[in-house]
Amino acid sequence: MIQVRGLTRRFGDTTVVDDVSFEVPPGQLTGFVGGNGAGKTTTMRMVMGLLGLHGGEVLWDDRPITDADRRRFGYMPEERGLYPKQKVLDQLVYLGELGGLAAGDARRTAQRALERFGLADRAGDRVEKLSLGNQQRVQIIAALLGEPQALVLDEPFSGLDPSAVDSMVDLLREETARGVPVLFSSHQLDLVEQLCDRLVVLRAGRVVAQGTVEELRSRGPARLRLVVDRDAGWVRDVRGLHVVDVDGPVAVVELAERPSPAADHADVRRALLTEGLARGEVVELAEVRTPLAEIYREVTA
Amino acid sequence: MNTENPWLLVARREVMTKLTDKAFLVGTAITLVLITGFIGWQVVSENDTETYEVVATADALDAATLLEERTADVDESVRVEVQQVATEAEGEAALRSGDADLLIRPTDDGWLLIGDEGVPGDVERAAATVLRDAVLAANAEDAGTTLGELQAGSEVSTDLLQGDAERQGFAQAMGVALAFLFYFAALGFGYTLAGSITEEKSSRVVEIITTKIPVRQLLIGKIAGNTLLAIAQTALLVTVGLIGISFTDYGGFLPALSGGLGWFVAFFVVGFCFLACWWAVAGALASRAEDLQTTATPLSFLMMGVFFGAFLFEGTALTVASYVPPFSCVLMPMRLLQGDAAWWEPVIAIAILAAAMAATVVFAERLYRRALLQTQGRVSLKQAWTAAD
Repeated sequence: MIQVRGLTRRFGDTTVVDDVSFEVPPGQLTGFVGGNGAGKTTTMRMVMGLLGLHGGEVLWDDRPITDADRRRFGYMPEERGLYPKQKVLDQLVYLGELGGLAAGDARRTAQRALERFGLADRAGDRVEKLSLGNQQRVQIIAALLGEPQALVLDEPFSGLDPSAVDSMVDLLREETARGVPVLFSSHQLDLVEQLCDRLVVLRAGRVVAQGTVEELRSRGPARLRLVVDRDAGWVRDVRGLHVVDVDGPVAVVELAERPSPAADHADVRRALLTEGLARGEVVELAEVRTPLAEIYREVTA
Repeated sequence: MNTENPWLLVARREVMTKLTDKAFLVGTAITLVLITGFIGWQVVSENDTETYEVVATADALDAATLLEERTADVDESVRVEVQQVATEAEGEAALRSGDADLLIRPTDDGWLLIGDEGVPGDVERAAATVLRDAVLAANAEDAGTTLGELQAGSEVSTDLLQGDAERQGFAQAMGVALAFLFYFAALGFGYTLAGSITEEKSSRVVEIITTKIPVRQLLIGKIAGNTLLAIAQTALLVTVGLIGISFTDYGGFLPALSGGLGWFVAFFVVGFCFLACWWAVAGALASRAEDLQTTATPLSFLMMGVFFGAFLFEGTALTVASYVPPFSCVLMPMRLLQGDAAWWEPVIAIAILAAAMAATVVFAERLYRRALLQTQGRVSLKQAWTAAD
């Protein structure tokens, strides 16, 4: 497990990462989201030891991380890091060897991975001859060489076409199935929502929200959508809720802040149902799942 | 080896990348061809003798025969073959048709050499000497003395306190050639090194590498790889050059110069490492290949200064500069080749150079490490130095 505690980094007078703490548990995909300049890349670089820390610490398995630990991490920098003029396979073997693999093992692993990504016939080509999507595949192969004990990936999905996104997702799932903690940053919120086990939301260098997607959803007030067979204006008189919108027979209401996570709003639901049935038919009463994008907008507002 | 000395992996990649680079191989081959060609031309032109067909009528035949016999004693690259013609008109016709090169005929006060379009200087000088000596000898005999007696006391010859002139000139030329080789290697491989560092930086592959190995190992590996390549290439060129020279008349000078050549190798290795550190910094200060021209400019000028210093420094300035890195890399071995440095002088100079190199490694590592991850345009030396880790 990667633990980040109170991480702080300044560039000149500006604090780019300010007291950031989060965890990347083993076997889980942790999504790192935030706008441009929120400090995601800086944080990841500090985790990888590329930038010095101005405060806080990074722990690996409950002890301060060492360069030897990081050497067995798979890392993918924000912009694509490969030698443009070197041949694909040679390059992967070199990076594998730098990561501590024996030359033969590095070659075998790299060849297997290239086959899997349908790039076996490009092994002898220079990287610059590959399309951007294929370069990114080579990049992820480089990050995965030698069964890394953790993965830190900066924007691994940017620039990938949908099928490449799918194979990347499969690949990351395999890694988490091995029990590897995976931290990746992305600004594609829909992707993060369907993919991630956990989320860390960063805004202006600070963590503004973190937890599982469900936990994040339950942070805000729960919303109900009520559909009846006539005008629903009467909901304004029901106690314990706040009307977001009434449009003819359709109403969206927000339940008042819960006193505790355990307390549900059975009384309010019952009041809505009873009142609705007393006035006619109730077609629908359902919880509205707030899209992640909206949660994100709220927490980063 | 993998985990203990990752710099070896880096150095190996540097070497292999260069050895599979066609431009590098072709460039080296062309340089070799030029060197062999130049020396080959020297060898050929040294042994080259020009033979001139001289035609003479009966009254000039004695003089012409004298030329045939004695010209080679005066100038070994000139030979004369004589052909008798019946009349001068026949001789002139032979000149016009190209069958003969020269016509010799007596005048009132000596001899006249006639060519078709010109009389080559070497044969003119040689003929003048041969004929003058012959006439002088005859005149002397008539006067009851000998040529030797007449010339007694008129000889002007030269001597040098240190070595002989030809050897000195050869040492000088050799020094300049080696200075050029150093310039060539330091600039060429310096640019390669800086360029490969900028490439790693602009493609961000350096971020991956430095999560796997320490920055120092990367720096050492790159410097080691390029130094090895530079030494190997220069050694190849020098070896071919020396083998070539041994076939010329200058070959005899080589054993006496071997000490100076040995020192050149030592200064080359330490000096190249010293400069390589700065090239690495120049590479790290640039974020893209376009920036490299700017960040490498001061170094390019320094390299030119070192090269031109080989010609321009004289006297005390030369002695002083031969201790100052990086000028010492070239100037001290040159002074040794010319035999005007005592044995302890290169020892001190190389110690200073090595100390400068050690200090440079420390500075360069700090600058390199801090500039490496700043990818927004050019980084100034000051920014790199004061940047936080």
